[in-house]
Amino acid sequence: MALRELRSKTVSALWRDLRPCASSARPNGLRHASSNPLDDLESSSSLSTPPPSNDIIKSWDPVVRTRSRKIQLPPSRYQFRSPKFYRGPLHPHQPPPPSDPSSRLFQPGPFSLPRLEQTYESTIAPDLLTMTYAHTPPGWVKPPKAQRLREWVGDSPYFKNRPLRGPRGGAHLRLLTPPRNFRTIPKLTGVTVHSMVPAAQDDSAYMHVAGMILQAITNVRVTTHRARKSVASWGLRDKKFVSVTAKLEREDVYHFLGKLVDVVLPRIKEWKGVKGTSGDSSGNITFGLEPDVVAFFPEIEVNYDVYPPKMIPGCHITIHSTATNDRDARLLLQSIGIPFYGKMVN
Amino acid sequence: MPPSRCLFTFRPTFRPTATSQLPPTCLLRKPCTPTSTPQTASFSSSSQLFARKGKGDKGDPRITSIRYHLSHALTPRPLRLSRLRALRHWTIHRAWQLHRNKQRAAAELTLEKQYASMRAACEALRLIDENGLTVPGGSGLSVGEEGYGGGVGVNEAKGVKGEGRNVGRLYRAAMDKTGVWDGVPIEYARCQTDFPAREGWNHGWTR
Repeated sequence: MALRELRSKTVSALWRDLRPCASSARPNGLRHASSNPLDDLESSSSLSTPPPSNDIIKSWDPVVRTRSRKIQLPPSRYQFRSPKFYRGPLHPHQPPPPSDPSSRLFQPGPFSLPRLEQTYESTIAPDLLTMTYAHTPPGWVKPPKAQRLREWVGDSPYFKNRPLRGPRGGAHLRLLTPPRNFRTIPKLTGVTVHSMVPAAQDDSAYMHVAGMILQAITNVRVTTHRARKSVASWGLRDKKFVSVTAKLEREDVYHFLGKLVDVVLPRIKEWKGVKGTSGDSSGNITFGLEPDVVAFFPEIEVNYDVYPPKMIPGCHITIHSTATNDRDARLLLQSIGIPFYGKMVN
Repeated sequence: MPPSRCLFTFRPTFRPTATSQLPPTCLLRKPCTPTSTPQTASFSSSSQLFARKGKGDKGDPRITSIRYHLSHALTPRPLRLSRLRALRHWTIHRAWQLHRNKQRAAAELTLEKQYASMRAACEALRLIDENGLTVPGGSGLSVGEEGYGGGVGVNEAKGVKGEGRNVGRLYRAAMDKTGVWDGVPIEYARCQTDFPAREGWNHGWTR
């Protein structure tokens, strides 16, 4: 018995050793670069397999098959819930990527293709690329720039190991503008609509109406904010709810800006445009709308009677883009249809 | 028909609201004494709801409904899918992501082609002299070397003098960014539409 086992084991071990030789003896590089790769594909797919025969269908018992499993599958309603908190890259429980439907960050959609987005892809982006193209001949080397964070130079012994000095002309490092190419065209990334309602400290109805109006305009649930500290000159009291914010992303941005540019802004009387000095020099530009302008939004206008007219709030609109300076951001907004006036500050 | 019934037919359907039809000697008319409170009506003209005990002013009904709908949003609960449904959902989702990826790649490829052709055109213009001939050994040279046509960027292009002045003149003109940062005219900054406007162009429009 043992001998027989030994024999079979030897045979299998030998066979294991032989197999690589046999496979290498075969010409393994059958396909050359010139040969047609489609020949390697099987012509028949699994879809053309005939359905199972009648006796297989009759003998098929899913209940028995399920019971005979050693490890049962999770129940049908089992849902994977990703961990609520991210515990670092070394933790065994890692959240799925945000594109996975089981992720907590998953956002379905897009459900629409806004006109403004189509216009951006077909017209605005190529135009911006053409307008702002700067040629650099092949072999050209960018001249070196001075160090952004300066070292401490001097005789003082305390300069050793001291952290680098901040940049000239400001406390923080500005964004670097990469050379313009087909990947670095400025793009809209978001809109923040913010409405400050100090009257809400005494009567919460102002806050509720402002929130409802922002939700109607933007299609996004609003978040409320409290005053951090009392400011007597602004009439702010500590820890009272004073403002609402709606943060738009993705397709909401294009729908909102489309409405704003096509419907609302043209109806403002004697409007010069957005101030040329607006902008935080990192691609975000803010402007404000009066309460009577907010009432021009089509969602407010069609049922104007639903809102108490005195409680309709004004709002500040911040448009976020991937531009790294005011000049690029302004050019992007101008090509969308938002005019600017006055002195332009970069 | 008795005469009383005939009278009934002539009676008005609605009672007259004004009390001025009553004769001045009628008992219903309030006696005009200086000691009485200045009450104008013997009954309350406001609705019954306000008269109820323990119920104060309800406020604006519009605000009430806004508050109601803020706290009773119509957002449905998140989907709970069974195993096979979740698998189907996942498959469709992956296909949709693939489709969008392809679209994005196609859009980027279009831009890349445009960028490459612009770059090739500028490079050709930079090395062209006044006779339309390419300067020998133009490309691949470093800055400042002889035979270097056209200049480098916007700033260097303006300072070219002497013999090389006519080399890459069109390139320098193309690199001139005068007026670019003034922005896009508002007439051209318009969204695409499905159909053209009813009147194609407003010729009477002035800035």
